Amino acid sequence: MTPELDPVIHAQARLRVVVTLNALGEGDSITFPGLKDLLGMTAGNLSVHLGKLEEAGYVEIVKTHRGRTPVTYVALTRRGRLAFEEYTAALRTLLDTTSAPPSGA
Amino acid sequence: MWFTVQTTSLKHKPIWTAKEKAVDDERELSPEETLRLIEQQGSAAHEQFVPDPVPHYLAWGVAWLIGFGAIFLRQGLSGTPYVAIPEGVAMALLFGLMALAMLVSALTMWQLRSPVRGASQQRGMMYGFAWSFAFFAMWAIAVRVGAHLPPAELGLLWGGLSMLVVAILYMAGGAIWLARPMFVFGAVLAVLDAVGVAAGPGWHALLMSVGAGGGSVLAGLLLRRRVRR
Repeated sequence: MTPELDPVIHAQARLRVVVTLNALGEGDSITFPGLKDLLGMTAGNLSVHLGKLEEAGYVEIVKTHRGRTPVTYVALTRRGRLAFEEYTAALRTLLDTTSAPPSGA
Repeated sequence: MWFTVQTTSLKHKPIWTAKEKAVDDERELSPEETLRLIEQQGSAAHEQFVPDPVPHYLAWGVAWLIGFGAIFLRQGLSGTPYVAIPEGVAMALLFGLMALAMLVSALTMWQLRSPVRGASQQRGMMYGFAWSFAFFAMWAIAVRVGAHLPPAELGLLWGGLSMLVVAILYMAGGAIWLARPMFVFGAVLAVLDAVGVAAGPGWHALLMSVGAGGGSVLAGLLLRRRVRR
């Protein structure tokens, strides 16, 4: 029923990650703990989802140091931004064409 | 038979909850639910990443309302003071409150930016430095040129120049962040500043106090209502 929706983004937890990262300005990134707190996810759970998003080339993870403490920054790539735009566009057309009751679970 | 009973009785519960958890986490949302999730999560994130402009508008508005208000009361529209406030006190009030407002702006921007780094951080930092350097240059000009002016015109020079700096930086801010209301506010400030300086010290102080100060407080209150809604 939803063949054109990107499966990488379509999982609920990953969608929330992508939406949050998309709210950052272009060229901005957020620390891993900052993102974790914003989403209210556990570190392990977030890591798994970020791994999948990174695999798809949607997310860029940069590990650096602030002083002596290691910091991990997360950002949406151009490709990720585009994929999210296409995802929302596909969602809207889906809503327009099927005004019938939702076909969810 | 024994084997089957054993496995089902043992495994039934854990499998069920694990499945339930997986279903809840990866549950297929309807398009409507998904769109609602995108909107809610998006605006929640936006609120976190974009600093709240309300303290900024209120602090600057109060500074101009009180600072220029004091200058207006000591100038009067026709040159006779309504209230005898010493020139130094009125000026110190205006510039002291403006320095406080600048601190409020800097603090609100800093605080919320902390987990985020990148282009917006640099943009904000350069913009912040632009305020400092512009006011420094303005101060140098006003000190030098002001030495040759009568007291009433001296106040006008300081007031007119400082509001010119503010107007330019608001317009620049509007251009940087593509914020039309910010640009419009800066443009209105520039026009009010020009009209006020042409009309004279009393008029300038009145226009700045009511127009710039009152306008900024009003903008802050309107934005607060919008955020709450």
